[in-house]
Order: sequence, then structure tokens, then C-alpha cells
Amino acid sequence: MMWSDFSWFAVPAITLWGVAGTLVYTHMSRRVIDALMLMGIAVLATFIVGLWVGLERPPLRTMGETRLWYSFFLAGVGFITYKHWHYDWLLSFSSVVAIVFVIINLAKPEIHSKALMPALQSVWFVPHVIVYILSYAMLGAATIAVGLQIVKLRRKMPDAKLYHLMDNLVYVGYGFLMLGMLMGAVWAKEAWGHYWSWDPKETWALVTAGAYLLYIHMRLRKSSPQSTVWILPAAFVLLMITWIGVNYLPSAAASVHTYTF
Amino acid sequence: MWQAPWGYREGVAVVGSTVAIGFALQLTVGEFDFTLLRWPANLVIGVLLILLLAISAIRQGRIARWISSVRFAVPTIGALVAFGILMGLTPQVFLGAKQQGGVVSMLGLDNATSSYTFMLIYLLLLLSLGMVTAKRLLHFRWHDYGFYLNHAGLWLLLFAAGLGAADRGHFFMSVQEGATEWRAYDKHNELVELPIAVELNDFDMEVYPPKLAVIDRQTGEVFPKGRPEFFQIDEKIPKGTIGPWEVQLLEYIHDAVRNSDSTYHEVHMPGASPAARVRVADTRNNKTQEGWVCGGNMAQLYMLLNLDEQYALVSTRPEPKRFVSNINVYTQNGRTAHTLLEVNKPLKIGSWMLYQYDYDKEAGRMSSYSTFELVYDPWLGAVYAGLGLLFLGSVCMLWMGNRRKEVRNDVE
Repeated sequence: MMWSDFSWFAVPAITLWGVAGTLVYTHMSRRVIDALMLMGIAVLATFIVGLWVGLERPPLRTMGETRLWYSFFLAGVGFITYKHWHYDWLLSFSSVVAIVFVIINLAKPEIHSKALMPALQSVWFVPHVIVYILSYAMLGAATIAVGLQIVKLRRKMPDAKLYHLMDNLVYVGYGFLMLGMLMGAVWAKEAWGHYWSWDPKETWALVTAGAYLLYIHMRLRKSSPQSTVWILPAAFVLLMITWIGVNYLPSAAASVHTYTF
Repeated sequence: MWQAPWGYREGVAVVGSTVAIGFALQLTVGEFDFTLLRWPANLVIGVLLILLLAISAIRQGRIARWISSVRFAVPTIGALVAFGILMGLTPQVFLGAKQQGGVVSMLGLDNATSSYTFMLIYLLLLLSLGMVTAKRLLHFRWHDYGFYLNHAGLWLLLFAAGLGAADRGHFFMSVQEGATEWRAYDKHNELVELPIAVELNDFDMEVYPPKLAVIDRQTGEVFPKGRPEFFQIDEKIPKGTIGPWEVQLLEYIHDAVRNSDSTYHEVHMPGASPAARVRVADTRNNKTQEGWVCGGNMAQLYMLLNLDEQYALVSTRPEPKRFVSNINVYTQNGRTAHTLLEVNKPLKIGSWMLYQYDYDKEAGRMSSYSTFELVYDPWLGAVYAGLGLLFLGSVCMLWMGNRRKEVRNDVE
């Protein structure tokens, strides 16, 4: 199986995930949604295995091949997390992002142009990036939730259920964030000689994690709810600086992370 | 304020004063000298710190209880975040930036990891984390495993990575093929003798197939000007276009050596270079040409295919896919190892880690030397233990969320 066969798998996978991500908001039986999602994952997995056999090497070399794994893991981990936490939006979110990566591969395969520089040829590359994507999704959702809570607090009617949702999202998102950072540390030790070198992206990642830790700890004491809730939007700004903003800071001139998106 | 029980305000006051003391020390004494913490000083500090934490936790004094509480943890984390933001905005000298001068340099913000403030915030974190861990361990409960994994794991990680940094050594060593070397450059670019020696048996590299491009024969500029187009050689996709030219790959030899009649044949030797036989059709006048192109290297000349009076088809120098050093390693205490060292596949021997770092980029595959990065870190085991605990703690967090309220409640 080669890249020329991709559309035979891509179109069914997109359709299955798209339908599952939409039907999750209806009264459709959960079993049907699970089955659709799993079938999409199986279709893509079949293509990955086929490509592996066809290329006679693991398809982990080009950007296009890496994106196949993004789609696969996003759909897979997204599905597992959805089954565990029953957040409907999580299923449609991971479906949409997985679909986007499949469509990028259809439109702009880059299957032969980008040679992966040796330092990126690591088993940690894909999981490091994927857990971060999941973490950003969770923490992004927590930021939306806290927006609602801020309004409710202003009306002196904080919503206990919303607090529970926010905290849960932050805990799960923080767990993924830490996993991403720890995997990055192990990878850095293998590739660059040190697990933590205070590269600007690392410093900002630490600051971001610290801000979420502040929220988690301040929520343990129920005092000063006003300042506590405002930490989440601030933390999300720090997260955005870590993800996108660092590349534009003067401190990042020598960062090893500037080639990533 | 200052009436029991102490709260956030006292926390902010104590942490704020500590930060102020840090800046004051930085202004008067200068940078913190990390070498003071070298073995066995870091071990002694560690043992004393653990004793202090254990005794305070057992005695349950008012201040110890406060230090172990959220009311102290929050200002401490806040100081870390604030200092981290300043650090993240300032180009750092230890990462190769220039000194910023002025207040920034006087406060040590442009060499943050060596500043007193950084050091003191780090100590506050060790204290806060250590105290709450010690207290909870005295009231051990199995179902607090998530708490223990996260807090003890982070404490261990911070302790080993921070105080262990004084013992860490970082060197670069270049070895000629066939030679054995034990001298290396340290971070001050001084040649030092190491208790470890490396023998380079062979250096080899693999490259990706090169790309083809059209250049201006006069200026050497890649066509089209400013937005160069490339044709990536891939035997599975033999056809492509560059501007008005249709390129068809007829034959590709990855390890090619030139014949006397300017054709190429396959020879597996270090001086070989990728070569391609192509047919190029100019869609403007249907003129077709056929010939070999080769990027060349130190051992053989490049080969280009003239398309017309102005343009020629050339091959780029191939990009490295993998570079490998075949080495033997000997340590002073008699350990030896043989390995193929490549990027992302370091060798661990005792407390040393060896990395493939560099080679003669001009010579590529024919490089007569290889450069290694050597890192000495006797605390790595403890750091990885901390990382492992924290990893499990993170899995607990993302799996359990905040479902178990009783774990979260701060024991006050």
C-alpha cells in the first residue's frame, strides 16, 4: 500500500469521524457513535499498517507520515478520554482536529519533500506533541468554562457544578501538560544532552504549569474566589505565549524549539 | 497580620522579603557561586534538609504547619511564576545572549539560573514541598497515592536536578578516525583531561536523496528568483516540474562514481555521491534534453545539465539522514563499551553520557573526525526516579481529575 491509495482510506475515516462527532450531540445511541468512531480509527490504522509494509520501514519519517499518527492518536486518545469523562465536545473536538490532519495530508502530502533532521527522529516526538495538543484542548475548554463562572460570580451566584467541571478540566489538562513536559525532558536528555536547559520554551512551559498549579492550590482553600478564577484566563495567556508567542520573543533567538509549529 | 493562624498575607510578606533579600545579595555580592554546592556539600545539605523537615513535621510547630500549607505554597509558586516570566522575557547570557546591562544585569535577570533570587525561590519550593510531603507521610494513607507521587516526585526531581547541577560536567571532544582521545573542552573552552577515553573506529553518514533545482548559469541564483522551486528525487514519483521545465527521473544512483565518459555507476565507497539521469522537456519550445546531474563532494566534481543559454539543472547537496560513529569507550575504572553512536541514541556508561554531536560538514561522509558531547551527571538516577514518580502522578491526575475531594483537602 502506498500514498497513492490514501484517499480510499482518508475519505471513509473523515466521514465516520465527522458523523460520530456530529451525532454525539443528538439522542443517537452511544453504541452507534462508539462504533463509528472505532471504525474510523480502524480504517486509518489499516492504512498505517499497509504503508508500513509498503515502505518497508515504520512510517515516521516525513511530516506527512507523522500527521498520520497525529490523526490516529488524536482520534484514539480523544475517544478513550471521552469514554472516561463523558464530555461530548471532547469527541467532536478530537474528531475535528484528526480530520484536519487527514485533510492536510490529502491536500499537501509532503510525503517526499521534508527530510526529518536527525534530532527529530525520535520515538518521543509524536507522543510529546500529541499530549500537548490534548492538554491545550482541555485547558482551552477550562478557560471557556471559567468565563461563564466569572459572569456568575459577578452576579454572586457561583455555580458549583461549573466549578467541578472547571477543576476537572484543569486537573486532566494539567496531567497531560506534565506528561508532555516529562516526555520532552527524557527526549531532550537523549537528543541534546540535558533534560532541562532553560531554553525559552522550557521556561515558559514551567511558568504556564506554575500558573495552573496556583489555580489548583488556591481552589483547595475556598477563600478569595474572585482572584482564583482570574488565574485561569491569565494562565491560558501564558499557555499561548508558550505555544506560539515564544518564537517572537527576543529571548528565543537560540531556542531549539523554534522549528516546531 | 502576623496573628495565628498565618494566611496568604504573611505568605506574601515572607516570600516577598526572601525575593528582596535575593535581589539585595545579587546587588552586593554578585552571582551565586554554584560550585560551592559541589559534592559532598549538596549531599550534606540534602541530609540536613531532610532531617529538618522530618523533625519539624514531627514537632508540628505553628510555623512548620504554616509552611506545609497552601497559604505558604501559593505565594511561593507565585514567586516562581513571576520570576519565570521575567526570565522568559530576557535573553539569557548562559544561553549565549549578550549581557543586557543596566538594572537587568545588576539584578541578575539576564543570567537568571546563577542569581541569588532564583536560588532562594528554589529553596522556598524545596521547603514548601518537603514540609507538606513530610507531614502527609507521617499521617500515611494509601489512598493519597496521587498526592505522594506528585509531591515527593517533584521534590526529588527538584533536589537532584538543582543541587546536583553543581556536580554536572559538560564537555566536547573531537576524535580523529583511528585515534583515541581523552582530552576535551569544558564550558569555558579550556582543554581538560577526562577519566574517560574514546576511540573512533569509523565515521559514516547516510543522506536523503537530494533535490534538483534550476540555477542561473551566470549568477548561480536558484530559479525562480526569491521563491526557488525544487524537484525532490524520489524513485516512486519520477515526474515533476520546475517552472516551464518538465523533469523526468530516468535513473537514480545513491552511491555514484563518475565514469570517464561523464556517466555514473554505483560504487559503495565514502567518496560516492548521489547522481541522477534525467530527461528535461522545455514546454515552451518542446526541446528535450537528457543527461546526468550530481551535487558532487570533496572527492568528485559536480555535474550539471545545461538547459539553455541562461539556465542549468543542478543537484543540491544531500541533507544528512543519519550520522554514525563506531566507537570504543574506556573509563579509568576499567569499564569498556563498544557502540554505534548516533543522534538520539546516546551511550550511557557509569555516570557519563556520550552523544554524537558534530562532524566535518564540508567533507560530509568523508569526515575524518567526529565530535562528541560528554555529560557527567552522577545525579541522573535520582532525577529519573523523580521524573518517573511525577509521570505516575500525572497519570493519576488525568485519570481521576478532582473526583476524590478528600485527597485535595489541605490538612490544616
